[in-house]
Amino acid sequence: MTLTELARLGFADLGGTAAVLSGVPDAVVPLFSFAADPDQALRHLLALREKDARRVDRSLVDEDAARRLIEVLGASEGLAAFLVRHPEELAVLAEPLAEPPTVVHYRAALVAAVEGVGGEDARNALRVAYRRELTRLAAWDLDQPEPIEVVPRVAAALADLAAAALDAALVVARAGARFPAEEVAATRLAIIGMGKSGARELNYVSDVDVIFVGGGDGIPDARAIEIGTRLAIDTMHAIHELAVEPPLWEVDANLRPEGKDGALVRSLESHLAYYDRWAKSWEFQALLKARAMAGDLELGERFVAGVAPKVWAASSREGFVESVQRMRERVMQHIPRDEVDVQLKLGPGGLRDVEFTIQLLQLVHGQADPDIRQRATLDALGALADRGYIGRTEAAEFGRDYRFLRLVEHRLQLSRLRRTHLMPRGESDQRALARGTRLATTADGLIAAWREVQQEVRSLHERLFYRPLLSAVASLPEDGYALTSEQAEARLAAIGFQDPRGALHHIAALTGGVSRRAAIQRTLLPVMLQWFAEGADPDYGLLAFRRLSDDLGEAYWFLRMLRDSSGAAQRLTHVLASSRFVGGLFERFPEATAWLENDAELRPRPLAELLEETDATIARHAADVDAAAKALRTARRREVLRLSLAAIVGLIRVEELGTALSDVTTAILTGALRLAHRWGDEVEFGIVAMGRYGGAELGFGSDADIMYVYRPAGCEPEVAQKRAEQIVHEIKRLTEDLRLPLDLDLGLRPEGKNGAIVRSLDSYRAYYERWSLTWEAQALLRARGVVGDAALLADFASMADEVRYPPAITADAIREVKRIKARVEAERLPQGADPARHLKLGRGSLSDVEWLVQLLQLEHAHAVPELRTPSTLHALDAAVAAGLVAEPDADRLRAAWLIASRARSAMTLWTAKTADVLPADRRALEGVARLMEYPPHSATRLDEDYLRTTRIARQVFERLFYGARL
Amino acid sequence: MDKQRDFVLRTIEERGVKFVRLWFTDVVGTLKSVALAPAEVEGAFTEGVGIDGSAIEGLTRAFEADVLAHPDPTTFQILPWRGEVDPTARMFCDITTPDGQPAVADPRNVLKRALAAAADRGFTFYTHPEIEFYLLKSSRLKNGRPVPVDSAGYFDNVPGGTAHDFRRRSVRMLEDLGISVEFSHHEAGPGQNEIDLRYADALTTADNIMTFRTVIKEVAIEQGVYATFMPKPFSEHPGSGMHTHVSLFEGDSNAFFDAGGEYQLSQIGRQFVAGLLTHAPEITAVTNQFVNSYKRLWGGDEAPSYVTWGHNNRSALVRVPLYKPGKGQSARVEYRGIDSAANPYLAFSLMLAAGLKGIEEGYELPPEADSDVFNMSSAERRALGYQALPSSLDRALLIMEESELVAETLGEQVFNYVLLNKRREWAGYRAQVTPFELEANLEAL
Repeated sequence: MTLTELARLGFADLGGTAAVLSGVPDAVVPLFSFAADPDQALRHLLALREKDARRVDRSLVDEDAARRLIEVLGASEGLAAFLVRHPEELAVLAEPLAEPPTVVHYRAALVAAVEGVGGEDARNALRVAYRRELTRLAAWDLDQPEPIEVVPRVAAALADLAAAALDAALVVARAGARFPAEEVAATRLAIIGMGKSGARELNYVSDVDVIFVGGGDGIPDARAIEIGTRLAIDTMHAIHELAVEPPLWEVDANLRPEGKDGALVRSLESHLAYYDRWAKSWEFQALLKARAMAGDLELGERFVAGVAPKVWAASSREGFVESVQRMRERVMQHIPRDEVDVQLKLGPGGLRDVEFTIQLLQLVHGQADPDIRQRATLDALGALADRGYIGRTEAAEFGRDYRFLRLVEHRLQLSRLRRTHLMPRGESDQRALARGTRLATTADGLIAAWREVQQEVRSLHERLFYRPLLSAVASLPEDGYALTSEQAEARLAAIGFQDPRGALHHIAALTGGVSRRAAIQRTLLPVMLQWFAEGADPDYGLLAFRRLSDDLGEAYWFLRMLRDSSGAAQRLTHVLASSRFVGGLFERFPEATAWLENDAELRPRPLAELLEETDATIARHAADVDAAAKALRTARRREVLRLSLAAIVGLIRVEELGTALSDVTTAILTGALRLAHRWGDEVEFGIVAMGRYGGAELGFGSDADIMYVYRPAGCEPEVAQKRAEQIVHEIKRLTEDLRLPLDLDLGLRPEGKNGAIVRSLDSYRAYYERWSLTWEAQALLRARGVVGDAALLADFASMADEVRYPPAITADAIREVKRIKARVEAERLPQGADPARHLKLGRGSLSDVEWLVQLLQLEHAHAVPELRTPSTLHALDAAVAAGLVAEPDADRLRAAWLIASRARSAMTLWTAKTADVLPADRRALEGVARLMEYPPHSATRLDEDYLRTTRIARQVFERLFYGARL
Repeated sequence: MDKQRDFVLRTIEERGVKFVRLWFTDVVGTLKSVALAPAEVEGAFTEGVGIDGSAIEGLTRAFEADVLAHPDPTTFQILPWRGEVDPTARMFCDITTPDGQPAVADPRNVLKRALAAAADRGFTFYTHPEIEFYLLKSSRLKNGRPVPVDSAGYFDNVPGGTAHDFRRRSVRMLEDLGISVEFSHHEAGPGQNEIDLRYADALTTADNIMTFRTVIKEVAIEQGVYATFMPKPFSEHPGSGMHTHVSLFEGDSNAFFDAGGEYQLSQIGRQFVAGLLTHAPEITAVTNQFVNSYKRLWGGDEAPSYVTWGHNNRSALVRVPLYKPGKGQSARVEYRGIDSAANPYLAFSLMLAAGLKGIEEGYELPPEADSDVFNMSSAERRALGYQALPSSLDRALLIMEESELVAETLGEQVFNYVLLNKRREWAGYRAQVTPFELEANLEAL
């Protein structure tokens, strides 16, 4: 035989093969083409021949029998080793199997093998008998032209064979029991199959999950449980304790009530009482698969009948939604990094995804519909399609995907008779797998097919769970089935919608009709619903999306974006389910949705660009002041929306946000002043930013602190004051916006609320000269001219510099600043507010940090020019650089300032209202925490983090500001 | 757990229990109680019982809304002093927020968190308190002073009568509640008693202490006398401390034991003690939480005023006892600072955290103090590096306020509340004009 011919048969090591091929009869050689791994088959055949040449040669006489032998040896090292241990068992391959045997046959065969045998011999006999049947079944499976078609039958036969093994093991246990024989006989013991054995879809090698139910037949239950427990232990040992013939598989009884800590055997009544009272949701999920498998079947059936109603009431239980979410999280996690790409079971698009989705659908709908309560995955899939919960096409596709994955898993496990779910990485192993499954002829072919299946399964959850939701409210002719609205509501509630009926209305509105939009949304909504459900407020998210969609109508770009850019669509659901503030702004500006597609659009626009737009706006509306102002307000809303989107999707940090929001404010004020202050009114006019605006630290919902200044330029002082006041009123009128209020706060001006709303530069100078130690003078530290006549603003700045950066400051003056701060702490906090939770005036929060920085500036800014900045954080950095504050102290202050600033902005985004107190309401706290990029369920963590950070900052503040304790 | 719940529901039926009291403890350490009808118990297990958070000291701030109390079935007991008429039972509770997260302000949860942190490092924490208290004729004062039940020193010298009955009855009740005890009468103060609770894990011990206080008060009422756990009711007699023996176990073995170590104390044991000593001043505001506590700490009579450890030194803050050969499992150290009025949940949490910190950071144990530190001159103490415990609640609060260890262990809410509440107490105390001042000053000035 030439090497080419050997290669054609599928051998890989051609030279080596040619050298040893003389050891097998010529007629047998072509049969190697049927082996998954011909080299392996040949190797084992030669080894077998060495052990027992006579028997091997006899079994090679018949061509069919020889083919079966070669197929088994080529696919399974484990079975090959078994045959080498027991060459007499080669006879089992002499006759073909027409069909997998029944459980009755298996039980008879295995029980017969152990009857009359005692001790360890019984264990060996049981295992040999099991493997004999396994070999015969594997040969049948491997000899199929289309093994994928018979996966369910093989899996069922494996479960039956396992059941028979348990029965035989129980016979062994009873025979060896050290109790009076009549008491042993009177002890009833049922073995309930759980998981895959319960569902009759077992793997070649997997743990067999069971629960033991005991009872007395003429002896007291307590005694029966005692004896039953011993029998159960011995039964398990017969299967998996060490003996000459290796163990079969693990018998796992940990799904029993109370798990590892619970009694191994309980009576039926005790089980039922447990499930009535204490069982957790996942335990009901497990019971979905319970089946009387072995032992006392009558008792087992009563157990199954007893728990069934409880299983199906599970979805109405308290905590069902959380347990579903956690179940899903579990599906996603716990895969070791290096295994993700080779996991058949747990990886994305793996077996677990299929099983999760189908079980979830069963739990949600099975309560009302007994017809979908199948145990086996494929049966359940079929029933769900029959009863119209999912589409037939999907059911067929996913059925095939599931069989594909299971077949690969079967062949993998058969190979070494080991429990594994990892696709081998080696090319030769993959090739053997491809040939053994007959799914492909090469390694690459198999992997490509597998990736396709994974891809499809990954979309499964959406297609089976979410998509049918639409059928409840819109006719989807292509599917030919429809959920009732009760069914759809049950599904929505299960994933966390608080008002499923309302949600269903929105879905109806979004998908109804024949418009292009409805058609596209029918395709998109299923996956978007899934994303909404992952957000903090799914109900609001969906409502906001509906409004948006109504506003945008048939806009081509909107539909295209949703359809073509899944990243943008996911972002959209995320921001809508996170923020009422954004939801409200979108109503005015739905076009902004488009930015989500493009990070560049979400970047804050530089001030120069904003001012250019302001110029253009005013030029465009030269004739109509009100129209121009309206355009300016619209521009402001648009930019604030841009910044909120950027903040929510995590594109900008809170420091950048402060600058950007300040720039937006400056842009509208620039425009408003331009409109109010026309050429030739004989005054110079300017707007000075104060407070957080001055420091370029605005957050969402912050007021804009400002002062107005003017200087007569040609007219009489009284006239100038009048004109300036007119300008102020006009600015206020032009910037008034009910949708997104711009609160121009003049409270930091001289004399506060009692002072004049605008002063001339000279008046300011006179005031500050007289009152240089007041809070008004201190407020000047954050003054920054932003809009108006440049010369005036420059003069204002040099006037301010003299006040705020004094060459020397007396001890009295410093004491006065400290005293005012202490008084403010006591007085300004609103009645009843918890000082620890007030973001602005509370313990260690914004105002503490700001006052400390300002005190340092008053004392040292004259000597240290770097301190001359309105920005709190910049000044803090400068203070560190100048050695005025130790780095660790500055870190603590900065951390507190940042967490308080972020929390304030997040609170505004969450509720669309501005508030200064960290919420105590758990739901609000959760929403705020998510906006601050905490993982889900972090309400308590945010709370503790905030309190800790500010407490520590307060310690630093007290030490540095008030000085050492007396 | 589930077996326990079965047991509880069955017992309620079988014994005809009429009321079930749900017990929990506020931040100050006062026992709170909600009564349930038997029919409500099952629901309480599955869903918890809503209680008004604002009614509980220290629980109010963050949760203006309701909180949920979840009874712990392993703590179920029939209360023996109710007799067979209308039998009443009790369970301790864990408090959660409405969305199911443990309430940060629940002292029991504070201790559970501390124990979980120890478990993460492989340790379980056992405690064994010796609780002292005074028996008084009543809570009313005579000539401005409380009156003890007996003025003799030894209990046993007072035959029959109140004292005898009191002792028999209390032991009986405690044992009915599954708490086995050893009773002793002090020679030191008239009417002063000490009861030792058996060794148990810290959570069980803390629960037992709460039960114990209630039992002692109940028996006293029954017997027409009054029991007080006030740290120092008599200036001339010793105060009531709660010397607590503590040990860490790693699995089944005592981590404090090392047959070859000095006093058979292991490296871990030494570091634990070093941790306790280093952080003792920080945790004192909790282990000694009342103005009155400092009268005991600084009242002489072998009270541990200074931060020292010793083996045979009766005034040391931490004592390392010797145990019999072969009894390595009972290796332990005794913290003598804590008093009988402490909130045991919080106090144990902090003692554990302090000790663990010592292990984590590998603190060095300073030399043993073998002579009476109290009688040294202050220069001598300084030379030897013996720090003093805070001399007043005010000082203790100032030190605690700066402690990250305490803040982290108690959690921000409890930390905050303790400071707030105790500052209030100090302010009230300071506002007094005391008989001492009047006597010393009024006529002289």
